[in-house]
Amino acid sequence: MGRTHEAVLRTPTMIYVRESHVERMGKIQDVSYEILNVLEFNRFGCIFAPIILYEFFLVGTNVYSFSLLNSTRKRQSVVCRYPDGRLVLYCKGADTVIYERLVGGSDDLKKVTREHLEKFGSAGLRTLCLAYKDLAPDVYESWNEKFIQAKSSLRDRERKLDEVAELIEKDLILIGATAIEDKLQEGVPDCIETLSRAGIKIWVLTGDKMETAINIAYACNLLNNEMKQFIISSETDAIREVEERGDQVEIARFIKEEVKKQLKKCLDEAQQYFHSVCGPKLALLIDGKCLMYALDPSLRIMLLNLSLNCSSVVCCRVSPLQKAQVTSLVKKGARKITLSIGDGANDVSMIQAAHIGVGISGLEGMQAVMASDFAIAQFRFLKDLLLVHGRWSYIRLCKVVTYFFYKNLTFTLTQFWFTFYTGFSGQRFYDDWFQSLYNVIFTALPVIIVGLFDKDVSSSLSKRYPELYKEGIKNMFFKWRVVAIWAFFAVYQSLVFYYFVTVSSSTSQGSSGKMFGLWDVSTMAFTCVVVTVNLRLIMICNSITRWHYISVGGSIVAWFLFIFLYSGIITPYDRQENVFWVIYVLMSTFYFYITLLLVPVAALLGDFLYLGVQRWFFPYDYQIVQEIHKDEADDSGRTGLLGIDNQLTPDEARSYALSQLPRELSKHTGFAFDSPGYESFFASQLGVYAPQKAWDVARRASMSSIIKLSFRNQIEILNNSSGQIVLNEEKSRIQCSRL
Amino acid sequence: MWELTFNTGIQTSKVAGRIVVVEHHRGDSEMTDSDRGTQRDRDSAKLQTEERNVTIHVAVSVCALPTLLAYLSSSWGVVAVRAAAFYMFTQQSLPACKPVLTPEWVIMTFLFIGFIFIPVGLVTLRASHSVVEIVERYDIGCVPEPFRIDKVSYIQDDSIPKNCSLSFKVPKYMKAPIYIYYQLDNYYQNHRRYVKSRSDKQLLHGQNQHGISSCQPVEVNNDRPIIPCGLIAWSLFNDTFTFIRNRAELKVNRKNIAWKSDREHKFGKNLSDQEDLIVWMRTSALPSFRKLYGRIEKDLNVDDVVVVYLMNNYNTYSFGGKKKLVLSTTSWFGGKNDFLGLAYVFIGSSSVTIAIVFTLLHLLSPRH
Repeated sequence: MGRTHEAVLRTPTMIYVRESHVERMGKIQDVSYEILNVLEFNRFGCIFAPIILYEFFLVGTNVYSFSLLNSTRKRQSVVCRYPDGRLVLYCKGADTVIYERLVGGSDDLKKVTREHLEKFGSAGLRTLCLAYKDLAPDVYESWNEKFIQAKSSLRDRERKLDEVAELIEKDLILIGATAIEDKLQEGVPDCIETLSRAGIKIWVLTGDKMETAINIAYACNLLNNEMKQFIISSETDAIREVEERGDQVEIARFIKEEVKKQLKKCLDEAQQYFHSVCGPKLALLIDGKCLMYALDPSLRIMLLNLSLNCSSVVCCRVSPLQKAQVTSLVKKGARKITLSIGDGANDVSMIQAAHIGVGISGLEGMQAVMASDFAIAQFRFLKDLLLVHGRWSYIRLCKVVTYFFYKNLTFTLTQFWFTFYTGFSGQRFYDDWFQSLYNVIFTALPVIIVGLFDKDVSSSLSKRYPELYKEGIKNMFFKWRVVAIWAFFAVYQSLVFYYFVTVSSSTSQGSSGKMFGLWDVSTMAFTCVVVTVNLRLIMICNSITRWHYISVGGSIVAWFLFIFLYSGIITPYDRQENVFWVIYVLMSTFYFYITLLLVPVAALLGDFLYLGVQRWFFPYDYQIVQEIHKDEADDSGRTGLLGIDNQLTPDEARSYALSQLPRELSKHTGFAFDSPGYESFFASQLGVYAPQKAWDVARRASMSSIIKLSFRNQIEILNNSSGQIVLNEEKSRIQCSRL
Repeated sequence: MWELTFNTGIQTSKVAGRIVVVEHHRGDSEMTDSDRGTQRDRDSAKLQTEERNVTIHVAVSVCALPTLLAYLSSSWGVVAVRAAAFYMFTQQSLPACKPVLTPEWVIMTFLFIGFIFIPVGLVTLRASHSVVEIVERYDIGCVPEPFRIDKVSYIQDDSIPKNCSLSFKVPKYMKAPIYIYYQLDNYYQNHRRYVKSRSDKQLLHGQNQHGISSCQPVEVNNDRPIIPCGLIAWSLFNDTFTFIRNRAELKVNRKNIAWKSDREHKFGKNLSDQEDLIVWMRTSALPSFRKLYGRIEKDLNVDDVVVVYLMNNYNTYSFGGKKKLVLSTTSWFGGKNDFLGLAYVFIGSSSVTIAIVFTLLHLLSPRH
């Protein structure tokens, strides 16, 4: 019998569910449930009260997110009253926990459910067991008193509530099991594979259990059968045996010893493989409990060494704190740049611990996004974020920084050489205003344009050749050698500027036999510096847009405009009119033009020769890619940039558009910037008044809960005869992964 | 109509959420259009359809300019163009030239530089070589033998006459005008404290009590301002030269030896005819410099013997400076200076050499 459930209304104490029976078409039945108690002990308890019941009926995906603060319970219960007064306790939780609390008998159902659970688990589905229990009113009343007492106690409340819950959560009757297909977002395996080709090491830190994590790692191409897998798990017989004895100190000591032994063994083995020439790739799988001991200061180094030898690392059943600890371990211990990406509230700590935090906005709420440095809508956009925009901005930053260094060194060194010829008196070579405006006007804009627009290869090629990213990891464009080369040519150029201009001006200029003075020579040299430094910028550009031309030409023109005006006036102030008419005197001689052609060419010849030889004989990877694809048209289309393809047919697009109409339900589409309040934000940027809608504000207030609720509305339950409820989740949740 | 608009909205915002401008303008017009009746409504709906096409078209293809121009006449088109340009700017998808420095380009550039620079260099060298220049050092020769041990006391002793003569033979025909320079070496006219010790206001406006503080340390004498004040003017070069050829004096024209702008704008009435001061006050860039003294406006023939009678007044002995007398003709380019020509030829020829080496490399082992 197939039934669908739909929540029509909820209040803090009531929930109304509409049931429609498939067999009896049109028969729709509204059932209201009164919620009496929620046995969920964390600070979100009251907020989630209606949801737990609701989840119970529909789906319970995320048991951990609720039980984080009390992961020992691994279950949630709710007591509710039917309209006819019947009292029922519903309980959902991990299979082990529920099975412990079942009433005896009906072994068939238990057995078949267990089989199903195993089947689901190995298929990578997330499983939960559901059970219920009818409560007699008097039993409930007496229990409720204890519960209220425990709830209002001031000391040890958690423990007391736990104990009270234990009283009632027993002798349950199994309903069945749920399995949720928590399918990966679109493009995740491809993205992860591309990123690992780009030389990025990927670690998965997840709250899932080991089997699920392994499945996901296989799906993400992080693990494969050729890999040598090191599994450090707390689910061994030896550990279980000690745990059953229950002595906490003993358990801790034993697990620590065990973890140490395991680590040592794995490390030895890993180093053997590492030294052999063509050994298999290594992978490390470790669960949260072992990780707790492995992160101990005495074992930390061993863990780190082992992990760095492995090409993929999967940590499962880890708590948010451990995620942050692992991140800091890599960040501080291995001195690597770390990036954390996650979508849930439990990823916040690791997002903040890493150098770069990326939050995925979507179904899990906004906490991750709010804590992150970058927010993206889907995991696969990480590829664009890193390989395209990350790489571009690295190259741009390197260029901007080294160019700034170069242009100031060149400029300052001409002044420096001059000092040797002034009896070390500190006389300035250039007029004060030249010096002041050099960085502000004459060489400012072009380098900004390069910082904004420079692209070595197009976005699609960046993604097609992820290996290009390795140049950034090796810091190829900002190491000492690169800076030294810039410095070398800056010295060479400054020598050219100073000596070419001064030596050639030591005799009379023009047929009038008149001589130049200090300011004529320095203005000539400054003109050469401005022209050369701006032309040098063109030489570092891989793509030259019209803004480059405008800025470079504009800077040179700005210098001439400035000097025409500045040297054309005598101010009424008491100051030295050193450069009065200097540029006009200069421009009346052939010397000016001949020198202006010679000096920039002579200065840039060295750089040009270097660039030519470097590209010819020692090319960077990106230069090879450039030359392979130099005849291809530029893909400046917008699809190439963001990698979002609109594969919807017109009809689909239309229905999608309709589904996006404002309504009470979630408007989260998963697309960039599509978070509450964004419309009004963009509108206000454009000067259009768009008031925040009430549902925006309300949703932001209780973001995560309502999103969950509205989302669950779209889930269909298929109830089959053997008691399992198989749920098809349309949308999926991304694993938290980090690298 | 509403649906259609919305559809567009989805498509555009789905891409990046950036073409909001277009959408909002569309929204505005919907309001105005709805006032104008159904016929207008239909038109506007049509227009919107087209406009949607434009927006997408522009963003996808850069070369859609003709299509766009068709829309320029309507306000829709303008908005679309602006939005498209802004979009391309913000999305960094501006049309770009992508130069790739292939070996062919390197070789061609070097060859091009060579072909431009060698001729320019040769022309410049030729101009420099056409200049005839005579340089005579006289600071030591003009001190009588007995005083050579202590030249400073000689130059400072007013009772000793400072007359001196030197003669030289003209090596080559020198065409008028022949420029006379004095050259000072090891003379730091570009020293910081020397350069700033002047008052341009006083030079321009004459007597001026104010604004001469920059002239330190020589701004006043007995509480009266010195005109012109400052170290530069104080240290004016005061050797004089008289030129005799075949017992006849060669007239030296000492007018028009300073730059016109200095004469007319920087120096006031009282000083503008003292051109030797104006020349002196255009301080030199290097510690070894020449300054124009005057012009001989007669040709000098080969083997003419010129005798120079000079007053050796200027003290360069205290700091080891040298004094030289220079006679030089000029070319269109200026005085005798091979540097620029040589530099041009050197850079041009090394470019050609590099181009040849690269071509050989390119032919012998072409790159794959």
